[in-house]
Amino acid sequence: MKMKIKAIAVNTFKESARNKMFYLLVFFGIFFALSSKLISFLTLGDAMKVLKDTGLAAINFFCIVIAIFTGINLIYKEIEKKTVFNILSKPVSRDQFIIGKFLGLALTMLTALAAMAVIFFLLVLASGGGFDLKIILYFFMLFLELLVIVAISLFFSSFTTPILSFIFTVSLYLIGHIMWTFNEFKMILRDPFWKYLTQGLYYLLPNLDKFNIKNEVVLNTALNPWTILFSVLYALAYILALLAVTILIFRKRDFQ
Amino acid sequence: MIPGRLLAAVFLAGLLLAAGMQNRYDSNLDYFADRGTFVSLPSGKALKVLSFGYSNLAADLLFIWSIQFYSTTYLTNRFDFLERVYDTITDITPQYKEPYIIGSLIMVYEARDIPMALRLLDKGSRLNPDEWFFDHDAGYYCYKFLKDFAKAEFYYNRAAAKPDAPPFIKRLNAHMVYLGDDPTMAYQMWLEIFNNARDTLEKDGAFNHLYQIKAENDLALLKERIGIFRRQFRRWPATLNELLSLRLLAALPTDFAGNEYIYNPEQGTITAERVFKWKQR
Repeated sequence: MKMKIKAIAVNTFKESARNKMFYLLVFFGIFFALSSKLISFLTLGDAMKVLKDTGLAAINFFCIVIAIFTGINLIYKEIEKKTVFNILSKPVSRDQFIIGKFLGLALTMLTALAAMAVIFFLLVLASGGGFDLKIILYFFMLFLELLVIVAISLFFSSFTTPILSFIFTVSLYLIGHIMWTFNEFKMILRDPFWKYLTQGLYYLLPNLDKFNIKNEVVLNTALNPWTILFSVLYALAYILALLAVTILIFRKRDFQ
Repeated sequence: MIPGRLLAAVFLAGLLLAAGMQNRYDSNLDYFADRGTFVSLPSGKALKVLSFGYSNLAADLLFIWSIQFYSTTYLTNRFDFLERVYDTITDITPQYKEPYIIGSLIMVYEARDIPMALRLLDKGSRLNPDEWFFDHDAGYYCYKFLKDFAKAEFYYNRAAAKPDAPPFIKRLNAHMVYLGDDPTMAYQMWLEIFNNARDTLEKDGAFNHLYQIKAENDLALLKERIGIFRRQFRRWPATLNELLSLRLLAALPTDFAGNEYIYNPEQGTITAERVFKWKQR
């Protein structure tokens, strides 16, 4: 079973890595991360803060774009090109197919993130910033966020078209970063129905800001280890839930 | 089929026409005349929501823009929304220290609005309770521009209580107390600094201040008593001991270094060995 998942994961990774769009986005991520050096010249005071801010934001943005674009296309393309029939006609279950796809995408994201992170580290070192362990932690948290995004895009990709998947995933990504407003919004609502609905959505939708530790990294403020631990557990739980529902949907899909 | 030369001519003509229009458009437009430049700036909270997790980047960009904008000196109306701009930046990332410092500098030295700068620095101090330099800067502006020594003392006192406050804050605080006409309290504060000094620079500085305050008090007392003597005997005392024998003084005061004050019996004047003009109000 493990070998089958591994084979699908490796194939997914190779397929993603062969995509020219992937290289283009990684290139732009690196390019904008390096451009942060230029932006830092424009500020007064702590230029390193601006360099880290803009560099990390560029890497974050392009990694998210890669995650969404590769995620939304993967399953759809397999169905569209009918390659899914070849795979599923072999002794490979639909569950293994989804898990393999997810792991392959995770590997793709890890590669893209590692490439950008190495360049960014070199830039920080060259700018006299020194080695900062918190940045590694930041990349780890970003990787968790990417895994959640990949799981979301895979989920939508399992039952709808790439365009709709794109709209839904981007919407969830944006909402995921303003989940803190739900609690405030709930306070001003009077009707219990809307109140409970808001509360329900607050718990149901992904809170991606849990993985956003840019403030703590850039401003060098204290990080609570418990918050990190809970964020990791949250990511694992959310990914597992999404993969489970994706598998359930994919099992019921008729490819005729 | 359209000839290639015609296409090239159309291309060049189009380019020239576009450049001409662009020039005409720009010459009729004063980009900075529009007072509504800032109207579209959302509040800090709205911008935090709209930045979708990139609030640091939004704060950076707004801060960098503000530096360029407020350096554009020919814009006469540039200070209209100064407080709003820096409030927005500091609302997005309250821990970002530079905007408080640079913003208050612009408010003080460019806009000449000290209360506005104090409001910004107060916000910085409130949202970053462990940082001392917001209160230090506020204290300096009160001292330098408002000449409000009591307020300066309040800020320096608050700054001195912060965990990593450097020792010079306590010295500034004591000096503000002195300038605020409370020499007894100032003396006590300087004495504490003197007794706990960690280096000779600090000790010497405290010594000079203690010397000044003590001399000021002692000389005022001595001058008063010499005056009483003069009114009674229509002459200056020959020595200061005469004041003691007449019980006009309980004891002869000495300066902080332990030396006697210098008395001139011919003119009835009394001075200390060292008087520091730079410490006079």
